[in-house]
Amino acid sequence: MSKPKLAYYLAGGCGGCDIAVVDLSETLVDVALAVDIVFWAPTVADAKYKDLEAMPDGSIDVGLITGNVRNSEHDHIVKVMRKKCKVLIAYGICATSGGIKSLVNLYTTEQLLDKAYVDTMSTDNPDKVIPQTSCIVDSKYDLTLPALFDAKPLDQVVSVDYYIGGCPPHYDHVKTAFTALLTGQLPPPGSWITSGKALCEVCGRNPVLTGKPKKFTTTIKRTFEGTPTEGACLLEEGYLCLGPITQGDCGVKCPNANMPCRGCGGPIPGVKDFGTRAISAIASMLEKEELVDEIPDPVHLFYRYTLAGSALGKKLNR
Amino acid sequence: MQTIEINPMTRLEGHGKIKIFLDDKGNVDNAFMQVVEFMGYEKFLKGMPIEEVPRTVCTICGV
Ligand code: SF4
Ligand code: SF4
Ligand code: SF4
Repeated sequence: MSKPKLAYYLAGGCGGCDIAVVDLSETLVDVALAVDIVFWAPTVADAKYKDLEAMPDGSIDVGLITGNVRNSEHDHIVKVMRKKCKVLIAYGICATSGGIKSLVNLYTTEQLLDKAYVDTMSTDNPDKVIPQTSCIVDSKYDLTLPALFDAKPLDQVVSVDYYIGGCPPHYDHVKTAFTALLTGQLPPPGSWITSGKALCEVCGRNPVLTGKPKKFTTTIKRTFEGTPTEGACLLEEGYLCLGPITQGDCGVKCPNANMPCRGCGGPIPGVKDFGTRAISAIASMLEKEELVDEIPDPVHLFYRYTLAGSALGKKLNR
Repeated sequence: MQTIEINPMTRLEGHGKIKIFLDDKGNVDNAFMQVVEFMGYEKFLKGMPIEEVPRTVCTICGV
């Protein structure tokens, strides 16, 4: 029997999701032996976009896309991937929900470019040159760049068969997901590949797991204020942990390191809009309403990983 | 002018491409390396509590 063909494309991401696959270490050898990697760009294989474009439609069994869709090149290649791949997976929170990089949607492209290319203290650009989609150098070399637009999660551009959260997904979770893929033990199309448990359900700091009641949050603390009590729930102590609504497939990485969860795992099953659900979950844990005003910078907290995929999508008044 | 395009540049994170311009004899006249991606962290971090920045900017490049 021929091996399943696999393609991998990194769109508007950081390569961390690619590294999470490489972190499979010995398991990676098994995966590499079990599949035929026909395309992996730009990080791991020396594949070119024209090679992918030349492949017959539907000829690739599984396609993984990481990163959000943020420019016309991403938009084009994810559409090519959709045509070539029978099963398409949004892999990592950038692809599923927009990711940190979708915080660009708080600003217009002009505002973002102006800050980066003109207005930073270390920039010396008296002519205010910013990237253009096309330009002719020395009146004979015509060059083009992709057009920038607001970031989008993958499913706002093409249909997606499965979702895997995490920034990046923990390698144990990647292993589970690859095993499910290779053995065909997949949930119904359109699902997230997840244990289905919230981070709190697997967190050693959760008092409920040892039969104690969960207490209300009485103060709001920033992470440098004090040290969390060993073994105590961070949220109870005032550190706004998003564990109640985040998928717990990461090995409880942040709370185990005294850091509150920021939600990179993506929403627990049944939740469509992570940000609004996070706001309501945290609000319901606060002892009194006035504490709401003490939450520093709510948008970067509640929408850190999911702005583009949220009902808001972007800041309207920019 | 004849051109050769290498897209994408591979085995790295941060998308780039190379465009090579050839002269009439087919020799390289000029070549350009272009970074085709733009992120915008300089702007969108604005307002974020400073202690949250390290765990956020590690996603500029995860390789
Ligand atoms: S989800 Fe995180 S690790 Fe993966 S590409 Fe996006 S920023 Fe990088
Ligand atoms: S809120 Fe955070 S620290 Fe508390 S139990 Fe949930 S995941 Fe653990
Ligand atoms: S604890 Fe939360 S923010 Fe940290 S890795 Fe897990 S899901 Fe991501």
